Amino acid sequence: MPSMIQTVGLKKSFGDTEVIKGIDAQVEKGQVIVVIGPSGGGKSTFLRMLNMLEQPTAGSVFFEGEDITHLPTNKLDTVREKMGMVFQSFNLFPNMNVLANVTLAPQRVKKTGAAAANEQGQQLLEQVGLADKADAFPASLSGGQQQRVAIARALAMDPDVMLFDEPTSALDPEMVGEVLKVMQALAKAGMTMVVVTHEMGFARQVADQVWFMDGGVLAEKGTPEQIFDHPKNERTKSFLAKVLVQ
Amino acid sequence: MKGKHWLVKLLIWCSMLITLTTAISISQTQNVQAAANDNSLAAIKKKGTIVMGTSPDYPPYEFLVNNKPVGMDIAIGKQIAKDLGVKLVVKQMDFDALLVGLETHKIDMVLSAMSPTPERKQSVDFSEPYYFSGQSIIINKADKEIYKNYKSFYNKKVGAQTGSLQYDLVKKQIKGAKLTGLTKVTDLIIALKTHKIDGLVAESAVATAYVKNNPDLVVINGGFDLTDTGDGTAIAFAKNSTSLVTAVNKTITKIKQQKLTTKYLADAGKSLKVNVADTSMWSYRSYFIKGIGYTLLISLVGVVLGVLLGTLLALCRLGSIAPLKWLATGYVEFIRGTPLMIQVMFLYFGLNIPALTAGMVGVAMNSGAYVAEYIRGGIDSVAKGQTEAARSLGLSSKDTLRYVIMPQALKIIWPSLGNEFISLIKESSIVSVIGVTDIIYQLRLVQAATYKGIAPYAVAMVIYFVLVFGLTRLLNFAERKMQHA
Repeated sequence: MPSMIQTVGLKKSFGDTEVIKGIDAQVEKGQVIVVIGPSGGGKSTFLRMLNMLEQPTAGSVFFEGEDITHLPTNKLDTVREKMGMVFQSFNLFPNMNVLANVTLAPQRVKKTGAAAANEQGQQLLEQVGLADKADAFPASLSGGQQQRVAIARALAMDPDVMLFDEPTSALDPEMVGEVLKVMQALAKAGMTMVVVTHEMGFARQVADQVWFMDGGVLAEKGTPEQIFDHPKNERTKSFLAKVLVQ
Repeated sequence: MKGKHWLVKLLIWCSMLITLTTAISISQTQNVQAAANDNSLAAIKKKGTIVMGTSPDYPPYEFLVNNKPVGMDIAIGKQIAKDLGVKLVVKQMDFDALLVGLETHKIDMVLSAMSPTPERKQSVDFSEPYYFSGQSIIINKADKEIYKNYKSFYNKKVGAQTGSLQYDLVKKQIKGAKLTGLTKVTDLIIALKTHKIDGLVAESAVATAYVKNNPDLVVINGGFDLTDTGDGTAIAFAKNSTSLVTAVNKTITKIKQQKLTTKYLADAGKSLKVNVADTSMWSYRSYFIKGIGYTLLISLVGVVLGVLLGTLLALCRLGSIAPLKWLATGYVEFIRGTPLMIQVMFLYFGLNIPALTAGMVGVAMNSGAYVAEYIRGGIDSVAKGQTEAARSLGLSSKDTLRYVIMPQALKIIWPSLGNEFISLIKESSIVSVIGVTDIIYQLRLVQAATYKGIAPYAVAMVIYFVLVFGLTRLLNFAERKMQHA
């Protein structure tokens, strides 16, 4: 059985600067991968290449065995419905209410009927603890609430994998917990997840594998115990020394 | 934007442009053909109508009573049509536009108190003159002692109708004159009464008619040297219409023999009295109402088509198909870089499109270029994360645009679109130059009919203000509704 996601020799340059310098990695079904590393190390760019929000300069991305690197737009849409994505800045659609945010894609892409989509939307909102906010507009929600809606929105497409791009970095500290809790529950339910984050506690508790990225390469990967308690790479050690001091 | 039916729409747009260019070349070839062989008379008879162009602000030659052109020239036109056995159609145009109208075959003949000057003879054919009238100068009554004839106006401020024989006379014979040229005699009369000019040169018959209706003015004999100016008034035809000119000359000979012009002028005098009997603006309300209708029609069509065109152009510019991008950018830059008036005149004269259609299309094409920039700006200003979020959910680029980007962009664009509509209402006044009967055009007619210069301006201003102010309130209301949503 092919890996859920596999990257082969993945590279990305912006102009003359090469930010990803060749990454070979696999994400298996049901795995929770947490990507950590210093800012500017290429974590987000790497994650965004997994669903082609960034076009790789070289190398390939395989999703469920299919090379998606050079798919035409309409085929890529079909792949993207199976890869949910959650952004640092939530990116809820401000022109529609919470429920409409969640039900838009199922209705337009999967052609789900309005009634069925609404029912599913309500369930998902309940799952993230926001059933009472269905009619609210995004602008009236707190950051933590918005991010939980964004998670529900991505789940509405019933994806095979969820990509999280620093989901708690834009949140006030007191709201980080409510979002991590939702993510933790997802992981427990068996969702395949790739999470770029600075939350070391979450990485240690939830991750099956922790990947340490620095300078555009996957410097080290292993179980949370290996990475956090017995790091081998010097750069991993110095990074962890800095972040774990607090 | 990469989807197939976007491509189809864009192809349609391209083919429209190509049709446009073809139309230009066809209309040009037609001109050449017309010059090659003279079937002018046969063509008129075959058509069954003869279209006469005139600028009806020149009593007693041509003016309007109850919105219908009357006067000596109209009566002559009727006689000609009758003798040719065809129907007469009268088309109203600015005096400046009449000869262009002949060249582009919008009209078959010009009967508008036109003198057959050597310059004009180079581009059109003339009949025999049908009427001889001296050239006079209108002055303020108070200045009666100062001005005796044209020589008294050396180094003074003199007015004349643009493109007229009188304009040339002033230029050639009144030494050092500061010449003010305006399109409308009615405006020149205002200029005279408000002392912007010291005298106004006009046909004697016209001068007399105006003075009769303005007790503050008097008319003096110009005393110009008229030997090489082609004195008298004649009918103009397109070049190489010898057969038509010969036929019309027969009618003119008859008119001269029977001294019909005397009768025509007497009739015109009676009509004039009807006009000046009641010169209150209220009694001319039907003129203004018609004008409002056309102004609103043109602005509305202009803004609706403009938004459609603008959206298409904006999508072309934002899209990824390079040739369409260049085409749309070129269009926007070209339209924004040329005056609306010339665009409208080009459509009307150059492409032979009917006046109202040319006006609406011109305004829409112009507005489209501006709207395209508003829309492009609006779409650009929606955060990039919105597109990413939508696309990562599997939404197509079309759905992303329709459900996510456009609703947000529209909120940003709305005030600019409102402004565009408002400025269209005002800018559409340009279409009066090709004879579309909008508010400005109607205002000219009322001026000509009532001999009142200022009052119709005031009325038109109030009308424009009420229209625009009402619309602004309406748009603000809609904007508030949208912001709440």
